[in-house]
Amino acid sequence: MAAGKFLPPVELTTSGRPVLLPNEIECSLLSSVDLESDELPAFPLLKSGLLILTTHRLIWIPESSSTTTTAASAIPLSAITHIFSPKKSLRSMFASPRFRFQLSVSSDGRGVGSGPGSRSVVVTVVVRGKGDSDAFYGKFWESWRARVWESDVVVSSSSSNSQLVSGSGSGSDSGGLYTSQGTLRMAGVSGILRKEQEMWESTDKSLQDAFQDLNALMSKAKEMVVLAEKMRLKLLSGTNSQTGATADEEMGSKQEMQDWLLSVGIASPVTKETAGALYHQQLSRQLADFVRIPLEKAGGVINLIDVYCVFNRARGTELISPEDLLQACSLWEKFDVPVMLRKFDSGVMVIQNKSHSDEEVFARIKTLVTKPDTLRSGISASDAAMTLGIAPAMAKEHLLTAESKGILCRDISPDGFRFFINLFPEIDPNGVYSVKEYGIYATWIKATSASR
Amino acid sequence: MRRRPGIGGLQNAAAARDQYRLLGENVARIRTDLMKEQLTTFRSQLEEFARKHKNDIRKNPAFRSQFHEMCTKVGVDPLASNKGFWAELLGIGDFYYELGVQIVEICLATRPHNGGLINLQELCNMVRQRRKNDRGAVSEDDCLRAISKLKVLGSGFEVISVGKKKLVRSVPTELNKDHNEILELAQAQGFVTVNEVERRLSWTSGRATDALDTLLEEGLAMIDDGHRDGKCRYWFPCVSSISSSVGADM
Repeated sequence: MAAGKFLPPVELTTSGRPVLLPNEIECSLLSSVDLESDELPAFPLLKSGLLILTTHRLIWIPESSSTTTTAASAIPLSAITHIFSPKKSLRSMFASPRFRFQLSVSSDGRGVGSGPGSRSVVVTVVVRGKGDSDAFYGKFWESWRARVWESDVVVSSSSSNSQLVSGSGSGSDSGGLYTSQGTLRMAGVSGILRKEQEMWESTDKSLQDAFQDLNALMSKAKEMVVLAEKMRLKLLSGTNSQTGATADEEMGSKQEMQDWLLSVGIASPVTKETAGALYHQQLSRQLADFVRIPLEKAGGVINLIDVYCVFNRARGTELISPEDLLQACSLWEKFDVPVMLRKFDSGVMVIQNKSHSDEEVFARIKTLVTKPDTLRSGISASDAAMTLGIAPAMAKEHLLTAESKGILCRDISPDGFRFFINLFPEIDPNGVYSVKEYGIYATWIKATSASR
Repeated sequence: MRRRPGIGGLQNAAAARDQYRLLGENVARIRTDLMKEQLTTFRSQLEEFARKHKNDIRKNPAFRSQFHEMCTKVGVDPLASNKGFWAELLGIGDFYYELGVQIVEICLATRPHNGGLINLQELCNMVRQRRKNDRGAVSEDDCLRAISKLKVLGSGFEVISVGKKKLVRSVPTELNKDHNEILELAQAQGFVTVNEVERRLSWTSGRATDALDTLLEEGLAMIDDGHRDGKCRYWFPCVSSISSSVGADM
């Protein structure tokens, strides 16, 4: 399709959320948006999709993936040369809100780019949904002006350089002691000590500067992140090498405890502010993407409350309420996601993989109850628990569901609940006494008669 | 430095080496002390900002993610709302939600040691440790209130009373692997006692009692408290029957 060629494609997660670049952060989104350009025939047909603004791109995703032929695509903000302010006129009050921006395209008009001979075309964004287009426009302008993508390039190309130049991030101290041992004799001991002191003073100063007020911290954020990383590394290496002080150990263990949960961070959590009316829908998709790893660690089934904690931890200050989480989970039925919410009769709610679903468990129970031994004596919940590797209460739950599906039948005796394979479907109503040569019924007869 | 021969020279060199080493150690110590000090400042400042400017931070997605990164790196909990008047009175605001997340986190982190059963008092102390800045502000009652907010997410998290103590159970019966371990233990004799479970699996008494009680409720265990040694025996007909009854049949 033309979309694939003209605009760079966007990778989507299994639940249909865009995969963001490193350092890219989602800022706002609008539903039912058309992108059109009259001047350019090669511009793809992008009708009623979800428009997501990030710090780096404008991402357009078709709203219903099955009906449209165009793939999700993105316009890099770096290719935008101008954003027109929205016209206020009488007509605009009745039509769908729209705003326009100028996009530079390569000379042959086949792709986005700002090479030599590139020209500009005007692209119109038509907002047909109910979203707040003014707020989106404001964010769009802000993100475009912030030019975050440029600083990325600088950092990646000269990361080693910038550390030395900026200096205030405590300079080249990471190798401080190690290199100083080599230069000990040449620079003189007092020289090293002076250098150390200068370094600490500058760190102190930059800390003071950064934490004057919120604006100062915002402008120095990047530097502070680097400093934080350095402190962390030193702290960790310090605790490894010096096993003396107890305070160090305490710090280390605390660090570990937090690492455990905070390591999987969500850089762009879906919030009510960015997603507006699509909040629960987008939250639901993000949760489905996120929950995959914790679910794997927990072995396919995880308590909903555990997810509440881990998910909120990954979101940082953007807490969601238990009610929102529950709603997000219950929306999964509508999307094609690999996870599902399961409620037990006891009121416990868990999230499980669809592959971990009943069918697979039933199949395993069936093989369990058709072994010669168990054909004769049946199985109890604890037998099932031990063979399936799950808790007895869960096993009982599975057995009861299997019973209600007609796979098992129960026997209540002084030994307690025992379950047997249900042979009734095997028996032919027209010939009650005839036994087929093969099948479970025949195996059962063999097994039971052998024991007598 | 010119190398001088003889024992005196060697002694000098050794002394110089010692001096250098001493100095190096000193510098290293000062360096760690300084770094700790700076780290403390960094942490407390971040905590203060998280509390004061929460709404401003949340408004700017790009800065928010950087702020979170800083918090993560130096180990600051970005959840630090004060209880405030309205939270105290009506239970609204972020305070109880944040507390809830912290409580679940502590339960998760300590689960390998205690099997998802934690004393409310211990839990409360750990929460206070987390929220160093307003030490003492979080009471057991606050914890109970925060836990009750989690009710919406199903009954997997509950407060149970064992004797005078209150315990918080974070693992629902359906996901509790403790029961499997008891069943395995019971396979040897067909029964277990509380003491045996505690000793063999090195659990706390609350954990063992709770697990055995659940198994009783589930109908998997039968209690026998009339034995000569006066200790309750928990019999598991379900595990013993296969081996014993089949054995008897043969």
